[in-house]
Amino acid sequence: MGVTSQVARLAATAVHVLIVEVPGWSETRMLLEAELNRRGWISALSPADADLLAICGTPGEELRAVCDRVWNQLPGPRTLVNFTASARIAVSLDAAVADLVDDSRQRHDAVSRSRSSVPDDSQPDAVGHEEHGAHEMAPADADAGSVAARPDMHEGMHMADGADEAGMDHAGMGHENMEMLIHGIPLAGGGDDRDGLEMDVLTVPFGPVLSHWPAGLVVECVLQGDVIVSAEARILAAASRSAKLETPIAAEPRQRIIRLCDQSVQLLALAGWGSAAQSACRLRDAAVGGVVMSDQAVALDRLRRRVERSVVLRWSLKGVNVDVASKDTDTTALSGNKFSGDIRLRLIGWLREATELAGTGKFRMSPLTGAEAAQETQNRLATLPELLSGTDLGTARLLIAGLGLDTSAVPSYDASPHNAHHSDANGGHSVHGGAVDDGAIHG
Amino acid sequence: MADAIVQVSPVWAVLAPLGLLLFALAGAGLNGALVGRSVGRPFLSGASAPLAEAARLLRQRRQVTVAADVLLWRVGAGGLVVVALLKILVIPLGPWTLADLDVGVVWFNTMDVMIWALFWLIGWGANSAHSLVGGYRFLSLAVAYELPLMFALITPAVAAQSLRVGDVVTAQQDLWFVIWMPIAFVIFCSSVIAFSSWGPYATAVGRDIAGGFLTDVSGVDRLLILAGRYAVLTAGAAFAVPLFLGGGAGPLLPDWLWTIVKTALVLAAFIAIRHRVPTIRPDRFAEVAWIIVLPAALLQVLIVAIVATITLGS
Repeated sequence: MGVTSQVARLAATAVHVLIVEVPGWSETRMLLEAELNRRGWISALSPADADLLAICGTPGEELRAVCDRVWNQLPGPRTLVNFTASARIAVSLDAAVADLVDDSRQRHDAVSRSRSSVPDDSQPDAVGHEEHGAHEMAPADADAGSVAARPDMHEGMHMADGADEAGMDHAGMGHENMEMLIHGIPLAGGGDDRDGLEMDVLTVPFGPVLSHWPAGLVVECVLQGDVIVSAEARILAAASRSAKLETPIAAEPRQRIIRLCDQSVQLLALAGWGSAAQSACRLRDAAVGGVVMSDQAVALDRLRRRVERSVVLRWSLKGVNVDVASKDTDTTALSGNKFSGDIRLRLIGWLREATELAGTGKFRMSPLTGAEAAQETQNRLATLPELLSGTDLGTARLLIAGLGLDTSAVPSYDASPHNAHHSDANGGHSVHGGAVDDGAIHG
Repeated sequence: MADAIVQVSPVWAVLAPLGLLLFALAGAGLNGALVGRSVGRPFLSGASAPLAEAARLLRQRRQVTVAADVLLWRVGAGGLVVVALLKILVIPLGPWTLADLDVGVVWFNTMDVMIWALFWLIGWGANSAHSLVGGYRFLSLAVAYELPLMFALITPAVAAQSLRVGDVVTAQQDLWFVIWMPIAFVIFCSSVIAFSSWGPYATAVGRDIAGGFLTDVSGVDRLLILAGRYAVLTAGAAFAVPLFLGGGAGPLLPDWLWTIVKTALVLAAFIAIRHRVPTIRPDRFAEVAWIIVLPAALLQVLIVAIVATITLGS
């Protein structure tokens, strides 16, 4: 056994996994996260940090194109797993490890990527990109737990990809500077910020591949520095309704407890309190794993008190409020929750509700029906632009997590091929605002 | 212990990177173990995590974003380890030091100002939104911590009436400075955690901005940055020893070993705090730093200056 393969073995003990959750597959994502924790693997925050791209669910047309771009941004050694059923997660991850440590396969992947970087990048063409997306993520590839190293990357698409994505970072108001192109990217334009100083204006889409982010959500933001000037939200849906996970892991009220815990995990993690987020995550995973809920009530209550007592958290979240001024959305957006829009109180409310549900097994008020849940999500989405404008990125993330959006509730739609093409030509949806020229990798 | 600090031959400087590396690795191991424990894995299984991570990053290809400012990006990534090494030059190990500069305290301060540039360059170089926001966040944090840090550094120097680190150690023979200048000590420690972008001050690499200035860094660049963060944290912990904790002073053990033990304890405390305290939002922190912490630091210098003048006069 050579040094190279030993390094590979050692590296594979802590694989970094970038998770893409398709709306409706939150349970698969949670099971995957639990398995990652069990193995001591890491959930990656960005494609550059990931070895394994884990797609939970069957993405629709647009989301599939996004996954494709993200796949191009993984530095390699890399591998891809598509989970469409909750079973076999462990088996698929073992297969992924075998793939990651397979040097000859990874080398082949790397060589075929580098070869495609032969500079025919003079004119990034979106049509080629579209074709690329359609090929790469053909439905045949997407069977449960399939692992693919995908050494068959298209040639000549990568520079186009990169330039496209960078375009999103910088497009913005830069149209008047069209003659000033750097690597095909127009220069950012300027504009007065909220303090009346001139700042660069960037148009950056956030989502759908971000950690602690509602599945499939894309928020197109106009940014000045880290302040959001304006925002527009929409949801990239799953392939079809019928493709959704057949049976939920748990019945109510356990379902509701899992959801409340998951929302708390996201909010605590974004607030930067890793240890509390981890506690919430363990409670969530225990609930998913089917422990007797009444035993969990005490632990949930302990977490709630810990959150309530934290001075730093109170100070950090002070004044972050999901209520928007307009009255009509106010009542519906927060229906079912008696607590106010202050996200710290909302968080405590979630944990309190979970404790009560775990303790008594009864809802205080009847759970929302499918149609009501869809309406609620729609209402909350509608408030997003108003809610986010003028906030900084950190606050915006907290606000979105504080809303507790259930993106799987809204009726799914299949983006027509025409739409998909249109948005692709405009640069599509980036993952995280990162622009990767995957052709220029230095081995 | 009465002996002054002596400058040793520059040949010994080859050991400095090794020592720093071992400390950084131990710190990363402790962090890995604490992370492992928080996800319910055995304490020790996480301790090898930094080795696995290093292997992973050495094996990973380094990726470049479109129109990245590659030169500046790489300077930022590689610079952290260099800065940490330059910092420990002036830190005495027991009775020995590599560079007995007569402005040793200022030297340390100069190096931590370099970190401003390095983190900013990493954020800037990637040419991507999250990375840039990470860079902005670090600068806003730096504006908040730097002035209090400067006054915290000056305080022991005022008491010792010298900027030479050796003189600061000698001045603590009767009483460690941490005892009668606790405010300066606390400010110094939290500033070290801040300039390492660590723990409660890690907003520049926050989860809410997809890893901030680390978002687009991969392969060996990422390894250098992560190692560099541990290295500057270690250097900061090590500098607390001659500045506030009496240098190598202590019973039974030789001076050099005391320096190592104290450094390890301070570093362990720095690592552990990450797992206890939530991240502090940078905009909120600036307010507190300027309105409460800075006046407190000035008050501390004032008290120390008065005491130093009186004892000198008598």
